[in-house]
Parts: sequence; C-alpha cells; structure tokens
Amino acid sequence: MEQERGLVFNLDTGELCLQSAQCKSHCCHRESGLSLARCAPKAAEMQDCSRKSLYGVYYKCPCESGLSCNADRSIVGTITNTDFGVCEDPAETKASR
Amino acid sequence: SEVCYDRLGCFSDSVPWSGTVERPIQRLPWSPDKIDTRFLLFTRENPDSYQRISADSSIGFSNFKTSRLTRFIVHGFIDKGEENWLLDMCKRLLTVEDVNCISVDWKKGSRCMYTQASNNVRVVGAEIAYFVNTLKDTYGYSPANVHIIGHSLGAHVAGEAGKRRPGIGRITGLDPAQPYFQGTPIEVRLDKTDAEFVDVIHTDTAPTVPYLGFGMSPAIGHLDFYPNGGVEMPGCEKNAVSQIVDLDGIWEGTRDFMACNHLRSYKYYSDSIIYPDGFLGYSCDSYNAFQTGSCFPCPAEGCPNMGHYADRFKGKINRDTVKLYLNTAEAKDFPLWRYKVTVTLSGNSHVTGYVNIALYGSNGNTRQHQIVKGTLKPDNTYTGYIDAEVKLGTVTKVKFLWNNNVINPSLPKLGAATVVVQSGEDRREYRFCGYETVREDVLLTLTAC
Repeated sequence: MEQERGLVFNLDTGELCLQSAQCKSHCCHRESGLSLARCAPKAAEMQDCSRKSLYGVYYKCPCESGLSCNADRSIVGTITNTDFGVCEDPAETKASR
Repeated sequence: SEVCYDRLGCFSDSVPWSGTVERPIQRLPWSPDKIDTRFLLFTRENPDSYQRISADSSIGFSNFKTSRLTRFIVHGFIDKGEENWLLDMCKRLLTVEDVNCISVDWKKGSRCMYTQASNNVRVVGAEIAYFVNTLKDTYGYSPANVHIIGHSLGAHVAGEAGKRRPGIGRITGLDPAQPYFQGTPIEVRLDKTDAEFVDVIHTDTAPTVPYLGFGMSPAIGHLDFYPNGGVEMPGCEKNAVSQIVDLDGIWEGTRDFMACNHLRSYKYYSDSIIYPDGFLGYSCDSYNAFQTGSCFPCPAEGCPNMGHYADRFKGKINRDTVKLYLNTAEAKDFPLWRYKVTVTLSGNSHVTGYVNIALYGSNGNTRQHQIVKGTLKPDNTYTGYIDAEVKLGTVTKVKFLWNNNVINPSLPKLGAATVVVQSGEDRREYRFCGYETVREDVLLTLTAC
C-alpha cells in the first residue's frame, strides 16, 4: 500500500468507520440506524444512492464520479440524511429530458 | 508400535506415519469410541434438523435413499460437525439437488493437540470407509455415488477413506492441511489416487513457519484451484476490530480473525453451489502470469468452475496436474467474471491520470474499474483486466471516464476512439466506438461500432 494503513485512515472496504473521510472509497455506510458502519464502495449507475452530505455516515453511498444521484431534497431527509435516489448519467438524463 | 481396533484394523506409528522430517512426533490415533465419529444426515425430507445414523440398520430407518448421491462433509482441526458452515452447506446443496448430505462430526478427535488430531484423521477416514462399505454390502450402494468434501484435516480424512475404500466417485479438498501432510507420501495425505475425481481449493498456502499458512501449496488433485493466488484472500487483511466484529457475529468474526484465509475455501465452495456459472478457473503457469493477462481467455474446450460444479470438467482432463487461477470478491457473494478491456484514446492533449471503464450488459452493469494509470497519450492503446461483480451476458455498451486529480486550468479533453471488450468465458469480443472527447470526471458512452 502506498499510503500507510492505519486504524483510523485509509480504511479498506469492510473496515469499521465513523466518518467517510476515513475510507479510501469515501463512503462510510451502515444498513440501519443500529448497525455498525463500514467502508463501502460508491454506488454505480442504476444503484440506490444518497446525495453527498457533510455527514460522516450514509445509509446509501453517494454515486461514483461522473454520475449524479437523482434524490429529491426534503428538509427532514437533509437532516437525517435519508434522501435516497438512483445514480444516473447526467449526459443521458439531459438527452432524454 | 501399533494399535488395532476390531472394525477398523490396525494403525502403526512407524515411518511414514511418524519418525520423519514432516512428522517428527510419534502419536498413535485414539480409539474409535474415544473419537466417537458421528454421521449427521440431512435430506430434503429433513433439511433443518439432522438424523443421526451409523453404519448399521439405522440407515434403513432414516431418510437415506439409495436412489440419490451422497455427499459427506468433513470438518477440520478444532472444528465440529454442528458448526454453521457444514449445516449451511448441506442446506444450500439441498436447495439445488436431491442428495443425502452427511456432516461427519469428529470433534472429540479434532479438539486436542494438533499432532494427535493429525493421526486421529486415520481413524475417522477408516470410519467413513467402513460406512461406505456397509452401504455397498448391505444396500448395494455403489461407492461411485459418494462424494467427500473435506476441509483442512478433513481433506486428509477424505484421502484416507478413499485409500481404504477404492472407487469413491469424488473428493473435494478445501485447503487440505499443510503441517504433518505437505511433503509426505501419498498413503499419508490426500492425493489424486484416492478417488475417481479429486479437486482441490487452495486458499492459505503460505509456509506454516513462519507465515502461519495452514493449507498445502503443491497441486495434489486432478484440478487444483488457487483463488487470488492461494496466499492472501481479499477481505482478510481487515484490521482486527473490523475482522472480529463481523456481519455474521462475533463467533464467525473470531474464526476469521484466527484463520481467515484458511476458512475462505469452504466459503467459496458454498457460494459455488448457487453460482453454477461462477468461479471460472484459468489454467496458467503462475498467478503473476494470470494477472498480467497471459492464459486469457478460456481455451476452446472452456474453463472448469472452481467448487461444486468442477466435476463437469472431469472428462476433459488430459495433463497430470492442472493449476488454475481466478480472482474472487472480498465478501460474499464471492464470484467474479473476468473481462479483457482494450482502450484506444482519442483527443489532442497528452495528460497524466487514470482511465476508468464501466461495462453494461443485458444482465446489468458494473461499477467503474481502473484500466490504466499514468501517461495518457491519444492514439495509444491501453489494456487492462476487469473482474466484474456482475455476469453481464452480452455486453451492450461501455462508459469511459478519465481524471488526474490535478486541477488543470487548461481544461484538457480526452476521449476513447475504440474500446474492445473480450469475455473470458466464451472468448467473445465486442467492439465499441466513441466520437467525442470529454473533460475530467465526465462519462463518455461508447456504443457498438
């Protein structure tokens, strides 16, 4: 590993995390409010996603680069980070609209 | 010296069983009563709770049917027959086929000093041979219908049973134990003469001293699979806390903490049951050669599947030992499907950075996989290999993205004129063409030329 592997940073997929900044994949993900959060890969096209947020932990990972999450914003959702959508390719959505 | 038991015969501790470089300490196996080998039968009639049977009339009163195959599953050192992975494996088998699934429990002989357990293996193997003999003599059941799946020391239990009861149809060795077996003659360990078809999955082949590898490295069967190279399994390098606090609970996490690589062998086999077209093994001289792209795609007669369906390849074996390589995912579900991707860049600016490709097919699409990193020159061609987490079926389009993590005010553009994707399994090639160039972090779609 080029960067030094620590318990706190540069975490691999599957390692326990508290904050997305710790993960190589930049997504610290947990299934439910009660479960422990682990680093997970970003969402691919057509997969569920949540918008990038300042929060450390996501119920659904944000999209891979080049894709955008079509989750519509809601006040509650923004607070609880539960605005979910599906990853889309902006080039295709522009063309189809 | 020697010890004899009425049903199972005599066991000596002279060479090669002891007194050799590989087996320095002399130990005689314990008695069958002390080891108390138990046969726990699962069938479609009783998939969730086992029937305890033994090599006598109890077989006739159980759900055992002579009209179906029988698969024994044998655990290894420190383990037990009621451990989840054996019960889950039987359950999974029963979802795809109607068989007699028998978990062999010998925990009383496996939870002791390793040098003792590695000799108790011989009595447990003799018990299975005796059981199969009873099936043959009392119920006319042919040994060719028997398949023994053994993990770690359990693989050598299977070898012993196969040696004593010739004609057993198949033996699968899941990371056969290395200490006290690697380097020993074939009468001591599992080898290809122990059954008509012997397939082996190697997942922990580092030397026991000093790297604590528990599995054998040499190829000993008809087909020997070395997933991820057979030394370090993906997902096993997690830090201690993350390893122990496992999704399946602390107990499974502790087992993984102790022997993650070694236990992956049965996890891969268990997944192979529900993925009949997964885990394709590529015959190659070494894992490095495989990783750098030689031995791709599969030859005309195809590649064998590691795990449950490896016996489909039984008739096509020509050479003595066949070493097969493949990559797996880091967590379940483990199978991956390998594709070769060749990208010819377009545009007029020369940049450094990386190129990602995502594959789209009739069965879904993959995430972005990095093909090349470094200098990116238009009109040059770059080749990379993707182990996709999705079996795509026919590849319908690809998406290209590049980035170099450096803010360049000149906003350079780069594109892909052609992308050629070759599927490893069926050797089929797909050509895609692109006509634009894009800035960093913008997806460019390429469709069939």
